Amino acid sequence: MIRVAAIGDTHYAEDTRGLFRPIWERLAEDADVLLLAGDLTNLGNPAQARGFAEELRGLDVPVVAVLGNHDYHAGTPGEVRRAIEAAGGVVLEGESVTLRVNGSQLGVAGAKGFGGGFVGACGHAFGEQEMKQFIRVTEAAATRLHDAVASLHDADHRIALLHYSPVKDTLAGERLEIYPFLGSFQLAEALDTAGADLVVHGHAHHGAEKGLTPRGIPVRNAAMPLVKRPYVVYDLERRARPADDPAAVAR
Amino acid sequence: MDMEYQYLVGKLQEAMARDARVSALDIRIVVTGGRVHITGEVPTEERRAALTEVATAVLPGTPVLNEVTVLGALGAPVHERIA
Repeated sequence: MIRVAAIGDTHYAEDTRGLFRPIWERLAEDADVLLLAGDLTNLGNPAQARGFAEELRGLDVPVVAVLGNHDYHAGTPGEVRRAIEAAGGVVLEGESVTLRVNGSQLGVAGAKGFGGGFVGACGHAFGEQEMKQFIRVTEAAATRLHDAVASLHDADHRIALLHYSPVKDTLAGERLEIYPFLGSFQLAEALDTAGADLVVHGHAHHGAEKGLTPRGIPVRNAAMPLVKRPYVVYDLERRARPADDPAAVAR
Repeated sequence: MDMEYQYLVGKLQEAMARDARVSALDIRIVVTGGRVHITGEVPTEERRAALTEVATAVLPGTPVLNEVTVLGALGAPVHERIA
C-alpha cells in the first residue's frame, strides 16, 4: 500500500508565510508522497512563487504539483514552476513522472486542465475565434492528459493530478452557472480512455469531496477551503493487473 | 431586481477578483438596506480586512457589513482507503 497525501488551493501569499511548512515537515510520518493540485499561490508572481517554494523545500517525501489558474494570474507560470523545481518538487503540465514508493511504482500524470463545462451544458468549438480557442485549449489539455496517463501503463498505481475538475460530482455545492469555468467532461473522457486508479483535483472550493468518472475512476476534490485540512491521505492498494493473474496470462 | 443593482454587484465582484490584496473569486455580495453585505471565506484576517477596503473604494460612503470568515485552524489529516 502507498499513502498519497494531497491538497489543492493553498493560495499562498505573504500573509500565509510559514503556515504549511511546520505541518508538511512531519508529513513522512503520515504519507509517502505529497500531491499539490494547483492554486499553490494566490497571484502567481515570482515573490509568491519563491515564498511557497520555501514551504516545501527539502521535505522528506517527494512533491508533485500542477499549477492552477491563480498561478497563471501574474503571467509568470514559468517562474512558479522553476521555484518549485528548485525546491525539489516536480511540476507536471501534460507530463508524467514515476516514483519508487514503498517498493511500488507510483505513476502520476498531471495537468492544470481547463473549463468548458459538462455534457448537455458545455461550450463547443463553434462560432467566434475566441470561443473556438477556449474549447481548443481544453481539448489540447485533455489530449495531453490522456497521453500522460497512458504512458503510465506499467506503473503499479496511476494517479491523475489536475486543478480543474473532470466531473460534476465534485462540483456539487458550487453554483450551476459557473460549472463551465470549473471543469470539463473532456478531461474525464481522456482519463476513462487512458485508465487511472485515482483522480485528484482542486479549484472547486465549495464543491464536494467525492465523485466518479463515467467509467468509475474515483475522483477526489482536495481543495483546502473544502477539506479544511492541511492535506488528505489516500491509501492505495496495488492494482490488480492481468499480469498478476496466472490464469489471465495462460489465456 | 433592477439592472442597476446587478451592475453594482458585478462591479464589486470584479474589484474583489482584481485587487491583489485579496484576488477572491467567490465572495458573495448583496447590497441591501443601504449596506454592502459580504460573506464567504478567506485564508487570513488580512485578506478579510482588505475586502472591506475594496468595497469601500468601489462604493465610498456605503457602509460595509463584512461577515466573511477566516479559514480557521485546519483539522487533523484523515486517511481514506481507495478501493
